[in-house]
Amino acid sequence: MTTQTLHPRVQVVWVLRAVLIAAVLTAPFAGAVYFDRLPEWAPIAAGAIFLTLGVGHALLRYRRWSYEIREDALYLDRGVVTEVRTTVPLVRIQHVDSRRGPVERGVGLASCVVYTAGSRGADVRIPGLTADGASDLREELKRLAIRADGEDAV
Amino acid sequence: MKLAPQSVPYRALQKVSGIVVILFFVVNNNPGWGFAVAIGVAGAVVLAAIGYEVAYYRRFDYELTDDTLDISSGVISRREREIPYRRIQNVDVSRSVIQRAIGVAAVDLETAGGSSTEGSIRFVTPGEATRLQREVQRRKSTGSRTEAHGEGADRAGSEVDVGTGSGADAVGPDEEELFAISPGELALVGALSFDGRLIGLLIFLSSGSVPVLSGFIPDASAVALTATAIVGVGGLFLVSWILGAGVAFSNYYGFRLSRAGDELRYERGLFRRYSGSIPTEKVQSLRIADNPAKRALGYASLSIETAGYAPGQGSEQESQAAVPIATTDRVYRLAREVESFGDPRFNRPPKRIRWRYAFRYTIIVGLLVAVAFGIDWYLGAGAPWYAPAALLLAVPPAAHLKWKHRGYWLGEDHLLTRNGFWSRTVTVVPYYRIQNVIDTRTVFQRRWDVATIVADTAGSSSIAGNDAAAVDFATEEAVDLRETLRERLRVAVVEHRERRDRFEWFEGGADVSGKDGDSTNDGDASTSGVDDGNSPDDRGESDDGRTEVPDDGVIRPDFSGSDRDYSEPAERIDTGEYAVDRNPSDMGGNERDENDDEGGADNPSDDTNDSER
Repeated sequence: MTTQTLHPRVQVVWVLRAVLIAAVLTAPFAGAVYFDRLPEWAPIAAGAIFLTLGVGHALLRYRRWSYEIREDALYLDRGVVTEVRTTVPLVRIQHVDSRRGPVERGVGLASCVVYTAGSRGADVRIPGLTADGASDLREELKRLAIRADGEDAV
Repeated sequence: MKLAPQSVPYRALQKVSGIVVILFFVVNNNPGWGFAVAIGVAGAVVLAAIGYEVAYYRRFDYELTDDTLDISSGVISRREREIPYRRIQNVDVSRSVIQRAIGVAAVDLETAGGSSTEGSIRFVTPGEATRLQREVQRRKSTGSRTEAHGEGADRAGSEVDVGTGSGADAVGPDEEELFAISPGELALVGALSFDGRLIGLLIFLSSGSVPVLSGFIPDASAVALTATAIVGVGGLFLVSWILGAGVAFSNYYGFRLSRAGDELRYERGLFRRYSGSIPTEKVQSLRIADNPAKRALGYASLSIETAGYAPGQGSEQESQAAVPIATTDRVYRLAREVESFGDPRFNRPPKRIRWRYAFRYTIIVGLLVAVAFGIDWYLGAGAPWYAPAALLLAVPPAAHLKWKHRGYWLGEDHLLTRNGFWSRTVTVVPYYRIQNVIDTRTVFQRRWDVATIVADTAGSSSIAGNDAAAVDFATEEAVDLRETLRERLRVAVVEHRERRDRFEWFEGGADVSGKDGDSTNDGDASTSGVDDGNSPDDRGESDDGRTEVPDDGVIRPDFSGSDRDYSEPAERIDTGEYAVDRNPSDMGGNERDENDDEGGADNPSDDTNDSER
């Protein structure tokens, strides 16, 4: 299996989230203006900065994200500020979920969560899959995990 | 089986004693009611609690079945729980002073996962607790033996019955003591323990009262004030130190770690006795920690991590089998007893990374100076705000030490990582225990072209950031390390599987069968040949043609169509639970019938062949 990228529509989900976060972060500035503590342009500037950072992060995140199922492990490569590459050996997979949040359902996407018994990388989430893609991936990982036939070593 | 009867009043009082005392005072101080009513209310609460506990006692039942420990409990909502022996991580027994006085003990059985102790049996008699501990361990190893050797199961099963009948004495293999704390070491543990919680509490309390106190301060002279402050702080530290020493002393009094068969056993504690067992196969990682003081004196401490303790539990619960302090070589010897890693030679990160640490510390010093300047400016005191800049002198050695104490080492079966100067931790992770491998590179690390590799295990303390991490290694090396770890995990899993599945028809595996494959035709001719007289000649020819002799020096007769090792008698081949011979000795594909007839004649000829060579 070659390196897979996410579905482009996942950017919509992430951009929406960035807008929401920017709105929450801008609210205190707007409040300060309301109480005449800050000039009027402050919340606009702050909002613009947060929005640019958030949207930029979301778009870069999409471009960075990739995953790959190789012979004996699942590889994930992601992260904008901190690049994270996770190797999940198939023998260590405990169970696999596919899940769809409300926003994801809105744009017709789903994600797949792979659980191991580890403590730090106990669950890794692959977002931005189509609904069918997520269940296919789940089935594929299940099949591979069964074939790998490992013990959980705990 | 039932709990100990003493547990009923003990549990009842344990639960409601606080409420009873409060209620007593509330009611007694109420002018309308008075003493008699207070007694009555308190008595009623205690009676209710006893009633509940009697019901709890009657409902609570545990049983050791063949492969699970069944606990049924609960008065209002009932719960039946079955814990497979194989899944039990460790069994802990603890007894406080009061519990020892009335002769009960608490038993906790931990499995991996879950947010609390899975099997909690409160309370049984100490003898029963020990028996439970040993029985669980025994049945567990019996269970795994059953998987491996089907034959031994019945015998072991009957042994278990005998053991159950005869009680605690007959149970368990011999104990071999690995570590016992000496009085000197115990004193050291006490001396090196410092309980910072009291200081933290006082700072927390006083932080709110500073404005109030500052009103009184100007009366005294500055000298007296300073002297009082120094004495006060000194006293505080002394008290903290004595408290910490006392806690450590009572915790580790009589610490003893021993090995019995497949498990490690520990016991410790002065007032509250802890004892427990950890199966060696459940050990996830080892951590050897020291600090500059301990290093100078040649001491270190060791903790044994299992996946049993949930992260939510208190720090006291974590890694109860930790050796608090011992000489470094003793710690390493002990660690090698548990996980036989070799003699580590750590790879250090590239030297250039010291610049990164130097820059980092310089920035911190810069921030300190800025803060000092800010305070000075705000107060207008004219104090030497640039004083923290003197710390710059410490930056180069600090950066060097930071670099010097980082490292990783790839052993035969283990990954060792080392981090930290002030509290240096060496983490030993068997490749087999790795759950996943994480490679992270922050923005700053990317500037230096380095990466951090974390080998994640199911241990409990990883939440606290004690993972086995190789920090700040050159990206190429880090990628290599990541791939190596993945590969070694794969190999380790394969090895474990081979050990687990005892379907080994060949010692040599693929090698031997490959050589046999070359001479398949010869073999076919000899086995299916009509006249037996020819077969020795055929064999001779095939041997001339074959130049290689197998590594073990035994040239095996060549029976094609079957990968069975004929140099072994059939009944010695272990078929595990399946009483089926996968390749019966007389089966050679379609010529089975002929072989059946010839069997008597065939085998002797083979024997002569073997003896001739």
